[in-house]
Amino acid sequence: MPTPASTQQNLSGKDKIERFKQLFADAPEVGRKALENVLHEIAQDATETPPPPIESAGRIGVRLGKVSELTIIVPLVAGGAKRLRAFLRLLGGNLARGDQVGTLHNMRFVFFDNDTRLLFATTYDGDWDAYIDDFVTKIPDYLDLIDSAWDGWPGIRSPKAKDYLAAHQISAEGWYVAHPDLTVAETARLKRIGKAVDKFLDEIG
Amino acid sequence: MATPTSAMSRPQAERVMEQKLRKVQEIFADGPEIGRLALEKGTAAFKQELAAAMGQTGATQQTTAGRIGARQGSVSELTIIVPLVAGGAKRTRALLELLEGNFQGADAVGTVHDMRFVFLDNDTKLLFATAYDGEWDAYIDDFATKIPNTMDIVFCNAVGWPGIRSPAIKDWIVKHQIPAAAWYVANPNLTVSKARRLERVGTAVEELLDKIG
Repeated sequence: MPTPASTQQNLSGKDKIERFKQLFADAPEVGRKALENVLHEIAQDATETPPPPIESAGRIGVRLGKVSELTIIVPLVAGGAKRLRAFLRLLGGNLARGDQVGTLHNMRFVFFDNDTRLLFATTYDGDWDAYIDDFVTKIPDYLDLIDSAWDGWPGIRSPKAKDYLAAHQISAEGWYVAHPDLTVAETARLKRIGKAVDKFLDEIG
Repeated sequence: MATPTSAMSRPQAERVMEQKLRKVQEIFADGPEIGRLALEKGTAAFKQELAAAMGQTGATQQTTAGRIGARQGSVSELTIIVPLVAGGAKRTRALLELLEGNFQGADAVGTVHDMRFVFLDNDTKLLFATAYDGEWDAYIDDFATKIPNTMDIVFCNAVGWPGIRSPAIKDWIVKHQIPAAAWYVANPNLTVSKARRLERVGTAVEELLDKIG
């Protein structure tokens, strides 16, 4: 795994441009052309303040500002996909319990490779360890219902649960967040302020 | 998808819920013990969840993002897994490293909440997953019109990428996209632009309070 943050920081803008050119010398034509089209933009960006690099989210995964990513791919037990699909369908594809975690922005379940594997990807606030703890303490039974389809899952209350999750997680090597400072809690606070301001403006308007 | 049952009478709704609960118990009858136990312990909470799923209206009901993908309220998901050409992973990874993993260019798209690039299966495949606002077609159009070159630079490393300007591009994406079976969003009505407005309002209120405080 290359460390995302950052071995490249000391490269000058000019060096970066050179690296880009080398990198795409043997790329498919559509990529080489696109690079030519944007080289001047990259050169310009390089002279401006670079955006903050992504950092580690703790044990595994990456973070931009306050918002982290978790991407887990697990093999499913025989019959696991069928069970989990039926379960999710009964819930209408909605997982309103996610609200209880309190640090969860979004979460998806995607079956692939003919239902033999599951992608579980979330966007969350802060550090990996605390986030997993939030799941464990707030919705343990839901987690076990879902994860019991996962091959080798030790159970959320098992001391081995975190090792299992970390072993199946793959850190993203590119991670973008539109509002890196906006946590779930901060969003709730801003929504309240927004409502209050609207009301205030209504009353004085 | 759950049928909206808000029109049902209470006893009717309870019967449907009991049926659903029995269905879940059947589904898990031959499941691993951990799952069965969790179901027993979580029955009460699970009933509430089913009731919520049945009573859902509007924003919290999972819908489709259009041509493919799931949506909650205003927020949709796109998940694609593509095979990489020889040398594709090396090139894409080096590109991401040069960008220090950060894709600030996506700000220009204006409808992207988050976006991740993950290499799978010994660097033979790339997972690209985003959360975005609104409809699939409009979203792909946003990428094509606002950051076409970036798209080509990244995805020329995928097998068969026709080029973002190609008329075949949407079919290619659909072919590799896998719709999520379940999709949760904490704030389903908060688009990227609404979030930006809220941030500005928050800052303005703090300044105001500072001045009068």
